[in-house]
Amino acid sequence: MLTYNIFDDVLELRNLVDNFFRDVPSRGASRDYPYIDLYETDAGLQISAILAGVKPEDVSVELVNNSIIIEGEKKSDYAEHPYIRKEREFGRFKKSVKLPYRVDAGNVQASMKDGILTVKLTKSEDAKPKRIEIH
Amino acid sequence: MATKRMKDNYCEECMIVPVADIYETADAYSLKLEMPGVKKENLEITMNDNELEISGKIQKDETNGKNLKYSEYELFDYYRSFRVGNDIDRNSLKAELENGILTLTLHKSEEVKPRKIQITAS
Repeated sequence: MLTYNIFDDVLELRNLVDNFFRDVPSRGASRDYPYIDLYETDAGLQISAILAGVKPEDVSVELVNNSIIIEGEKKSDYAEHPYIRKEREFGRFKKSVKLPYRVDAGNVQASMKDGILTVKLTKSEDAKPKRIEIH
Repeated sequence: MATKRMKDNYCEECMIVPVADIYETADAYSLKLEMPGVKKENLEITMNDNELEISGKIQKDETNGKNLKYSEYELFDYYRSFRVGNDIDRNSLKAELENGILTLTLHKSEEVKPRKIQITAS
């Protein structure tokens, strides 16, 4: 058995104030579209999106008119039991990302790992600089 | 410490507090925490006296060789602690990580589970 010590709580107060400045609230749960990061790699572009708790079969990635559309549903996993804390949110989401240049539509790779979706795109040949011969 | 230590434009001491769902059943408590980007081997769960601590490390070197053009999020290490009561069996903690969701099952100790008392005829 543990004994309750009131001084533990007093010392906790200092940690509480320290942690207030240290902690970043978790994001991504309270919006209906996922947060993304866009990277440029040697081959082309890479988009990563935070999709925690979303199954890969519930996500669709589409390339439409030079935009990537990430759409899907985060299905609720609520159990039929009394909840003590309910902070997570569920529902449908949709996000459109405008790409800075044309990409190769036939070479799009999407993978999901640890709740993060990664979409890899390669730069289209049309978008690369072309030297024009002068006759 | 009100100032954040920055190194290469990255906040070293920033932590993300993962959002959590907690529900109670007759024989256990179940916790679900959202920790996207954490690998199983970088996750640490400790039970110390009446404090349950969950921390997950993010590997930053994965972004090397890439050029960030547009950013809406940044991943930091995760940390959250919960205070648990005496009704938890400290030896039977179960943890699962799937799609960035950590599910913890804390079984209640035998003493607090509902028990049916047999009446013996006198």
